[in-house]
Amino acid sequence: MYRWVLALRYLVSRRVTLIAVLVVALCVFVVFVVMTVMNGLVGQFKERTHSFVGDCVVATESMVGFPYYDRFMDVLRSEPMVDSVSPVIRTYGLVALAGRQDAVGIEIMGIEPNSHFTVTGLGQGLHLHRDDPQTAFCSQADPNIPGCILGIDLVLNRDSSGEYDYRWLPLKATYDISCFPLTARGALERIGTGYVNTKRFGFSDVSHTGLAREDGGLIYVHFDQLQGLCGMSRPPARATAIHIRFKPKVSLQHGTRQVEGLWDRFAKDCQGMPQADLLGLVRVQDWKTYRKSTIAPMEKEQIAMIVMFILVATTAVSIVLVVFYMIVSSKTRDIGILKAVGESFWGVIGLVVNFALLIGLVSAFLGVLAGWLFLRYINQIEGWLFARFGFQLWDRTIFSIGQIPNQIQMGVVAVIVMCALLVCLTGCLLPAIRAARTQPVDTLRASPI
Amino acid sequence: MNCDGSAILSAQGLVKSYWLGTTQVPVLRGVNLDLARGEFLAILGASGSGKSTLLHILGGLDRPDKGRVLFNGNDISSFTARQLNDYRNRRVGFVFQFYHLLDELDVLENVYLPAMIGKGLVGWLTHKRTAVQRALELIDQVGLGHRIHHRPWQLSGGERQRVAIARALMNKPDLLLADEPTGNLDWATGQGILALFGALHRSGQTIVMVTHDQRVASQATRTVFLADGQVQPGHTNPSSSNNSKIG
Ligand SMILES: Nc1ncnc2c1ncn2[C@@H]1O[C@H](COP(=O)(O)OP(=O)(O)OP(=O)(O)O)[C@@H](O)[C@H]1O
Ligand SMILES: [Mg+2]
Repeated sequence: MYRWVLALRYLVSRRVTLIAVLVVALCVFVVFVVMTVMNGLVGQFKERTHSFVGDCVVATESMVGFPYYDRFMDVLRSEPMVDSVSPVIRTYGLVALAGRQDAVGIEIMGIEPNSHFTVTGLGQGLHLHRDDPQTAFCSQADPNIPGCILGIDLVLNRDSSGEYDYRWLPLKATYDISCFPLTARGALERIGTGYVNTKRFGFSDVSHTGLAREDGGLIYVHFDQLQGLCGMSRPPARATAIHIRFKPKVSLQHGTRQVEGLWDRFAKDCQGMPQADLLGLVRVQDWKTYRKSTIAPMEKEQIAMIVMFILVATTAVSIVLVVFYMIVSSKTRDIGILKAVGESFWGVIGLVVNFALLIGLVSAFLGVLAGWLFLRYINQIEGWLFARFGFQLWDRTIFSIGQIPNQIQMGVVAVIVMCALLVCLTGCLLPAIRAARTQPVDTLRASPI
Repeated sequence: MNCDGSAILSAQGLVKSYWLGTTQVPVLRGVNLDLARGEFLAILGASGSGKSTLLHILGGLDRPDKGRVLFNGNDISSFTARQLNDYRNRRVGFVFQFYHLLDELDVLENVYLPAMIGKGLVGWLTHKRTAVQRALELIDQVGLGHRIHHRPWQLSGGERQRVAIARALMNKPDLLLADEPTGNLDWATGQGILALFGALHRSGQTIVMVTHDQRVASQATRTVFLADGQVQPGHTNPSSSNNSKIG
């Protein structure tokens, strides 16, 4: 008990302890803020990806697609764990403003809005037809031609605050979209007059997913339109993917495994049917695995950051160690006195450990408090910096970030506080042992003057 | 008076030397000493004769190279770490030549420190009332009742020494060891301290006091001399500590 009293007195009376407290608090602050923002960004990105993809995807890597997707969708629909399914074609093509020659390469996605808006969150990212599958592909300018939805960054620029100016929507624009129809064997197929299949679409809406690749390079058209353009509608009709949404309580792993089983059986049943070998290229993946190539780098960055934080922690440990060595060295007489009145080896260790814990607690509290305040006003601070000095942490004209995420996760706080305590404990260990080994006579012989 | 004849502490053939580089400096060369319960013994010796060294060994703060110290017949060098801590905490009260109080604690806390040692939160909370009570009594007894919340550096040398004595008595030790308790004090203040020792002795406390001052030693009931690393038998002062009053 007296150990806490004495530790507390040392904490307030020794100025060097202030250094240890400040160093650890600063580390806690930095780690807390960076972790929170980084976790927020990664979490946001994953959430957007999940919303864009749905829970599970049955997809082929081949641009040719795979047949009998409609039959497998029927199989899926009869499963109690499946909430909804939606067929998708994703391919490459060319797009140009109607009548012009300067076509650019683009990714095109064919979706059935009715089912796709229930499987994914795509409908919520529309501007004019938010969650309205009926009119999603109605052309704004000319009701007689089909409509297309453009990734928002294809037509609008972001201003410095990250907002789009929707006044500039190209409501009257029409586009010529060209695709390269492929046979089941992957050869270019001659349709109509040539190998390239072109169709005119009117602008219907923009889609804002918050995913840079999709917003900056993807055009959505109706599934049936794209199927025709790609030569996939001739029986057996083909698609490149089926997106699946599970019922709320179905776990991702369990659901995906079930679908996998269903697919294996389905593919086996289809053996011998025309184009059945295309089924061999199909994979069943949950959304995380499906988008591994974009999620993995972010997670790797997160890990790299944690490694950096370990270096930060090592620095903190050494500073705490030095400070404790200084304190213990200047307090050998006190330790000698304590041992002379009967304190044990472990009692002295306990005293130093209590002192360390106290420093850890105080600095963790200060660091977390400062971090909490900083995070709370991080967007205002960033806004002020931008208004005053033109400095922006993330250039909103480039990054798809609205607000800097500052949602505080209690888990992160808990881990950081534990680490701070651990840092202090590690730092005090050697000095504590040194103190505990003190022989009373060695320190008490001399006069205190 | 008060001696009941049984030896509470007995030193047998204590040898201790220090090494300065490669030269051996012998300090104690076979010290034999018996202390009866209730006795007030003064060890008199010149500066550098090894008085502090001897007292540290008797108090379990240092180990002899040879020989042994028997406390109630038990060899303290055979004590386990726990027994040794208990010996320092409850059997012996040590008053140092230079007071050695903790600057971070006030007078009251310094005095009840020995009672806090080794107690957890629960243990301490259950003991606190009686401990504070006793500490206050002791502080009163040494005449510092009005200074309980002062820090050691706010006290004079004599006041600090009195706090150190109160601390040494906190756990009602069987044995009070005092290393030059008046060494750094003026004569009058020293007399106050000695009067206090006399009163303690009359109440039955066994005391060993080390000093280089003949006049101080004369306050004890028995005096021995430490010279050439050995204890020379001294004399008994029949009624020495009975004529002083508590200061
Ligand atoms: N750690 C040590 N290393 C070397 N020599 C020491 C050590 N401690 C004490 N000595 C020597 O041992 C001798 C006895 O020291 P001690 O402190 O016991 O004397 P003392 O009788 O208490 O003296 P004083 O009256 O001045 O306090 C001295 O000569 C001293 O220099
Ligand atoms: Mg001495």
